[in-house]
Amino acid sequence: MSASARLALLVLALLLGTGAARAIETHRFPAPGSAAVTLSLHAATDIAAMRPLIEDFQATRPDVAIVYTEYVTAELFERMRVACEGAGGVDLVLSSSVDQLLKLVNDGCAEKLGLATTGLPRWTRWRDELFGFTFEPAVIVYNRDAVRPEDVRRTRAELIDLLRADPERYAGRIGTYDVTSSGIGYLFSAYDARAGAVFGRVMEALGRARVVLSCCTTDILDALAAGRLAIGYNLLGSYAVAAVRAGAPLRVVIPRDYTLVLSRAIFVPKRAPHAEAARAFVAYLLSARGQARARETSFAFGFDGNTVPEADGPALPPASAILRPIEISPELLAIQDRAKRARLLGDWRSAVGAPVDAGAR
Amino acid sequence: MIASGGLSLYRRVTGLVAAVMAVTGIGLGVVAASYARGAADDAYDRLMVAAALQIAESVYTQDGRLLADPPFSAFETLALAPDDRVFYAVAGPDGAVLTGYDDLPGAVRVDPAGAGSAVGNGTFRGVPVRVAAARRYIPDAATPGWVRVALAQTNEARGALARDLTVKALALLAVMMLLGFLAALVAVRLALAPLARVERTMCERDPKDLAPLAIETPREIGALVGAINGFTTRLSRHQAVLQRFVAEASHQIRTPLAALSSQVEMLAWSETGTGPEAEERRARLTRIRARTRELARLTNQLLDHAMVSHRIESVPFSPVDLSELGRQVLRDAASSAVGSLSAPPDLDLAFEGPEAPVMVLGDAISLREALGNLVGNALKHGARARLEIAVRDLGGVGEIAVIDDGPGIPPEDRERVTRPFEGGPGRGERGEGAQKGAGLGLSIASDVVAAHGGRLAFVTLADGRFAVTLTIPAAAAPARAA
Repeated sequence: MSASARLALLVLALLLGTGAARAIETHRFPAPGSAAVTLSLHAATDIAAMRPLIEDFQATRPDVAIVYTEYVTAELFERMRVACEGAGGVDLVLSSSVDQLLKLVNDGCAEKLGLATTGLPRWTRWRDELFGFTFEPAVIVYNRDAVRPEDVRRTRAELIDLLRADPERYAGRIGTYDVTSSGIGYLFSAYDARAGAVFGRVMEALGRARVVLSCCTTDILDALAAGRLAIGYNLLGSYAVAAVRAGAPLRVVIPRDYTLVLSRAIFVPKRAPHAEAARAFVAYLLSARGQARARETSFAFGFDGNTVPEADGPALPPASAILRPIEISPELLAIQDRAKRARLLGDWRSAVGAPVDAGAR
Repeated sequence: MIASGGLSLYRRVTGLVAAVMAVTGIGLGVVAASYARGAADDAYDRLMVAAALQIAESVYTQDGRLLADPPFSAFETLALAPDDRVFYAVAGPDGAVLTGYDDLPGAVRVDPAGAGSAVGNGTFRGVPVRVAAARRYIPDAATPGWVRVALAQTNEARGALARDLTVKALALLAVMMLLGFLAALVAVRLALAPLARVERTMCERDPKDLAPLAIETPREIGALVGAINGFTTRLSRHQAVLQRFVAEASHQIRTPLAALSSQVEMLAWSETGTGPEAEERRARLTRIRARTRELARLTNQLLDHAMVSHRIESVPFSPVDLSELGRQVLRDAASSAVGSLSAPPDLDLAFEGPEAPVMVLGDAISLREALGNLVGNALKHGARARLEIAVRDLGGVGEIAVIDDGPGIPPEDRERVTRPFEGGPGRGERGEGAQKGAGLGLSIASDVVAAHGGRLAFVTLADGRFAVTLTIPAAAAPARAA
């Protein structure tokens, strides 16, 4: 391993350290009216993305105060595993790691909400208990200054060719999730592996290019914006577009060979103390008003799959052949299977050549 | 006796059909539900077994270690029951769970031994589940043996499919039952139609018409119509016999009675002797003559009564002019009153009525008999100086009244005197003693009027005269209609 790579890992470790320190923060949203109900929302999602939605919801329900507790996905999963078995005290659980949520719901953790007929696609909901409410493509992000326009690649095969043609140019300047610590990273890589053989070659190429691994989307985007990284693979499109809107010099590319789409999901645990208000919040997120608001302020993409100006790529209408939604269904149990996880992680490690403790938090 | 309060045949048959259909429907519904459940189980069991086999197939060995890698496709297969929770476990030969839910193998007991796969029902974590199990022999593991896959799935999709199938089957069943029931209703009505036709024919025909029924009937009720016809034939034969008997009796009895009367008269005339014995003989002869006259009168009345009774039962009605009838009876009375001992001398007979005929529907002979009896009674017991027959058209009914200036019948006796042999004591005693106990006259008149659907009434008029009125429904004016 070269000195620069060691440095990169050191920087990464520092970044991860700050990320870990950020875990379990609490934000309070007092009720605009006289508070009758205080919802306890446990989430593995940036507060910045959820704040406009929570505030808009409170405009419709001024009697609801919300305490927003932010976790990283794995911590939320462990916290909820315990909560489901005993006393909960949690009204809403929200995470981008839908496989973890599905596992919790499969284990009988969630309450039926009677929201089965929403306008969203069938694959976004399961058992009338778990509801996806965002449409978030996995994208490739380029730093405009570090990557020449002619080097921008729009399919995985082209990306592999670019890395092969000029291995040293991007060595140590490509970032992606550390699947051992990032729930989304693991989810995306599992679906990539499922989607076809090309992913094995992508991992191999990334490994050769000494890919920089990180736990969190925002960390990778920050490094990209700062120019420390040139290319980010498989990042959450919504966060990338948000960074572009915030002025980061990034080019967001929706892959044209196939596009994984994640739908961030939410459920109401059984024995939630304020089930009615919690249900109202879920209903708001699924409603036309909630969807429009989410698109406007936080998540950029909508279920109609229309193109977004900040993202370079095809439209993704529901019938699109390249659309690969991560369906909220028992299929996700395969992702959560411990034997499968062990094998996928093993494959991933050997492909990217990552040391076993690369993802240590 | 006819038990007309019994259940209607139509209701009984349709009730039976409905009951049979209800029982059949419930039975078929239960069977349909059971079939639907079986079909749904079968469909989803196949998916579960396929998924279990796929998972079993994914077990491999690496460096002698058993490893499992449940394929996406297995879960995709299970996701065909889109909203059902899925639990699974892969256990090695030593029973250790390689992956999945560690507590599943202990909670469900479905043994795939023998067939390679098996299905059954169970409960996992308090939820009823369907369980599929599969096994696969792994020869190259450190300890070769059977790997077992247990797969449990909640029952929502299969329950929904079973319900859907059941509801559709029941809907079909209900439609078929309804159609069947309607068909049965129509069939029963059609089957009972000939009976209704017989009934209608019987009701429409004149009650005095005893001719056999001439209608087309199906074989099944031919016997009934035959029985009715046999009965009417016998009845009409009996009536004919009775009629002949009455006619013969009239003739056979009247003739010797007349001869007897004349003999007694002659004997009385010829008894011209004197002395106490002769006086006593004359007195006896007088009594015999009175008794003979009474016998003749009673016999005549009895025979008249029989004749009238028979006629009103058997002779069809035709239009009769009450005025004409009244005049005729008055003429008869005039001729018979001449020389009659009972009629007061210088009796004034009068008729009062409209110029136009007053038509009623009836039997002229019976009516004439009835009226004759009333006039006879009036002559005998009531009229002192005047007897009047008055006819009126009351619109819809015709009225004929026999009015005399006698004392009339006291109101308390009026009901009684219309019964046979209940001639009023006042009247009977008031006349010559020989008339005692007479009195079929009012009874005959009453019967005749009743048979015509009319009414007999006793009225004391404003001027003190006494009237017996007969009101009889008018004929349906055939002359005017024509």
